[in-house]
Amino acid sequence: MGEDDPRSSFKDMDARLKAARKRRISHPRQRMETRPLGIAMRLSVELAAGLVVGGVMGYFLDRWLHTRPWLMIVFFFLGAAAGIRNVLRAAEEINRAAEEGTEDESSTEE
Amino acid sequence: MAAEGMSPLEQFEIHRWVPMNIGGVDASFTNSSFFMVLVVLLSTAFLLGGMRRGTLVPGRWQSMVEVTYEFVASMLSENAGHGSRKFFPFVFSLFVFIIIANLLGMIPFAFTVTSHIIVTFTLALIVILLVTILGFIRNGVGFLRLFVPKDVPFYIVPLLIVIEILSYLTRPISLSVRLFANMMAGHTMLKLFGGFVVSLGLLGIAPWLFIVALSTLEVGIAMLQAYVFTILTCIYLNDAFHPGH
Repeated sequence: MGEDDPRSSFKDMDARLKAARKRRISHPRQRMETRPLGIAMRLSVELAAGLVVGGVMGYFLDRWLHTRPWLMIVFFFLGAAAGIRNVLRAAEEINRAAEEGTEDESSTEE
Repeated sequence: MAAEGMSPLEQFEIHRWVPMNIGGVDASFTNSSFFMVLVVLLSTAFLLGGMRRGTLVPGRWQSMVEVTYEFVASMLSENAGHGSRKFFPFVFSLFVFIIIANLLGMIPFAFTVTSHIIVTFTLALIVILLVTILGFIRNGVGFLRLFVPKDVPFYIVPLLIVIEILSYLTRPISLSVRLFANMMAGHTMLKLFGGFVVSLGLLGIAPWLFIVALSTLEVGIAMLQAYVFTILTCIYLNDAFHPGH
């Protein structure tokens, strides 16, 4: 507006830009999945993936070492454990994201 | 005509357009290949077209390109930390390819490349192989620290290491299944309700309204899944740079 200093608006903008950048960096890691269906799908896929990987790995180890069916049984359960571990980890992540979402109401993007 | 034309799964069929056989491997140019090429051409045109003039004050098109760039750049730096900058071209290509493929699939009669698990699994495999190789190059044997959990009694560590390795191996599966399942489920649902509109006659207005809402949701999911795939890539890259957190 005023003719006193034509660069004052730029300085102002610089300060505002810096403030905006700081605000954005202060809460990184945005939401991943917030739809209930998305969460359900994520958890079930994590669990099933563990079982599949364990079973397949056990099957091929068995074929290689001629120990049918023992390794497959063992790895099936290990895979289940890995799957449950993944589910717990995913649930933790979702919880953390949900908490962060409720803490600062300002970050309601979209 | 009735049964064949109405199947909601028909849209996922692969058709050989130009049959090719290279060394006993069926390498035909299919409708899927065609749409992959189309995705690459479209994304190249989108990026080059937007930056054609490269003005200081961007126009609409240039803004879209710049927003995409900034989005991926901030995602990478926030989730993968320093040192990951070198992999920006890879992550950016991945994001643009997936989002354009997903959105292209939303156009009626288009083929959705990402609704096939072999496509998403290959993408996930590239990511995991890259992360694993990179992790060993940067940290040597120290990368294996990723599999050793902290703060546990020593006698269950061997068991937990096996479980952690299995859990690491599930990553490409959960990564690819999530993208593929979302795309396939959405498109099947759209086709299914589309069939209801036709068969219900006047009452078809109800499923038709549902489709309008669902299409909007699907566009959102198309973008969200591209985002999820990319952000997970960034998080995995972080493991390669800083194992053991």
